[in-house]
Amino acid sequence: MDKQACANAPVAEKKPRKPFEYIAAVFKNVYVLYAISIICFLSIWDLVAVMKVFGKFMPRPVEVLQQLGDMFVHPLAGKTLLVHLWFSLKRVLIAFVIAVAIGVPIGLSMGFSPYINAIVKPVFDLFKPMPPIAWISLAILWFGIGETSKIFIIIIGAIVPCIINSYNGIRLVDPELYDCIRMLGGNRRQEILEVTFPAAFPAIFAGIQISLSMAWTTVLAAELVGAREGMGFIIVLGMNLSKPAMIIGGMVVIAFTAWMISLAVTRLERWVCPWKTNLE
Amino acid sequence: MENKSGVKKPKIECINISKYFGEGREKIHVLDTINLSVEENEFIVVLGPGQSGKTTLLKIIAGLYRPSTGKACLDGRVITEPGPDRGIVFQRYTLFPWKTVMGNVEMGPKLRGVPRKARREIAGHYIKLVGLSGFENAYPHQLSGGMKQRVGIARAYANNPEVMLLDEPFGQLDAQTRYLMEQETVRIWETEKRTVVFVTNNIEEAVYLGDRIVVLEGKLPGRMKTVYKVDLPRPRDYTDPAFLELRHRITEETELVL
Repeated sequence: MDKQACANAPVAEKKPRKPFEYIAAVFKNVYVLYAISIICFLSIWDLVAVMKVFGKFMPRPVEVLQQLGDMFVHPLAGKTLLVHLWFSLKRVLIAFVIAVAIGVPIGLSMGFSPYINAIVKPVFDLFKPMPPIAWISLAILWFGIGETSKIFIIIIGAIVPCIINSYNGIRLVDPELYDCIRMLGGNRRQEILEVTFPAAFPAIFAGIQISLSMAWTTVLAAELVGAREGMGFIIVLGMNLSKPAMIIGGMVVIAFTAWMISLAVTRLERWVCPWKTNLE
Repeated sequence: MENKSGVKKPKIECINISKYFGEGREKIHVLDTINLSVEENEFIVVLGPGQSGKTTLLKIIAGLYRPSTGKACLDGRVITEPGPDRGIVFQRYTLFPWKTVMGNVEMGPKLRGVPRKARREIAGHYIKLVGLSGFENAYPHQLSGGMKQRVGIARAYANNPEVMLLDEPFGQLDAQTRYLMEQETVRIWETEKRTVVFVTNNIEEAVYLGDRIVVLEGKLPGRMKTVYKVDLPRPRDYTDPAFLELRHRITEETELVL
């Protein structure tokens, strides 16, 4: 059934190529185009900096790199760049774990029970559209400017996708799968274990993924106010010291870290749900 | 299966089944006084166009729907809920996407608590019967439509049901694969005989497969129109004059254009 006949496939004809076709082929290579894209971007940036379009507050790419190297070695406010990064990451991880631990069970119970859903949903719908950053002032009044208020704000930001996706994951399971397992002789407990959870899992996992990137976004906002360490602090310090290279350096590290995290999560997903991701 | 008086008892009996969906003004009459009995190991085809209530009838026999009036019986007992004594194959395949072919097929025995080794053996047997040996570890998304439906058939068989219920199982396949699957269905059924209720909208498929063909009227509510007995020997030939004649007769009498 899987026998694909290759025997009759036409043999690729070898045409003599003109020189300009070789050049055209080079420009059709995606990696060449990626390189062109990055080089163009850096060149324009450099040009803008050298021409002082934004006055003296636009560093050249090289200066940003030097600044990063400097922060990597020399402590800033008593801590090197990696230590600052670690402080931000730690906040994200703590808040993220708490958000998942609270949010997923809430979403699941909303998905399972229409009564719980009817009780939770109106309140949740009221809070859902509030941007987490709006909570900063309140959090500081309640918890002071210490760790607690930062973690609180990140939880507010990260919990929403956990709840929504867990709820929808349960709710949107193909009902015919339930018919199927009941016809195979499954009882209520087996329906939940063998159908509900595995069927809802990819949606729940996607929610956790969104939740993690929300946490990473929110931690910066939280650190912009009254932090003594972390990536948000570096950016604020850069502003206060009028060092744009420090700000942009911070932004680069933040973006790079977010990228690494999402790569790791994608890997994890491939491992935990092979049926979903090994599509060729 | 004979009772005291020596009269053959039907395997499945539908007695005065009517079915309505919805309430009040939105109430829809889907099935109207269906009376049908199916003998043990009989291959019965329910033929009707879309929206004739044939899937509803199948789901009532499955126990997934309750009839509004009348009753469906299996071996004389009223069917009230789904159960493993009836295996079902869905039009949309409805495999468990997170399970491999093996995982899907062994699901029935697993739910019954059959130990791993034994249920692998059972599943392996049916995977072989439907011609999927070598694909045990493939996930459904890696299979073609025809292969998915083979898994569906093997999964239903693996539970050793007394009755097989197939709901337009080949409706989504291309014509070529459909012919192949029809031939496979007959082969599998002749290897392991079961009472089969097969729902389709395809007259040719009905004539190829059925011992009897129950035709439902073409608009709601579904009513039984005619029952045809097909006496052609198996395996049947799609181009055999007798085959074509019966096909022609059913087409004319049911005014279905397919």
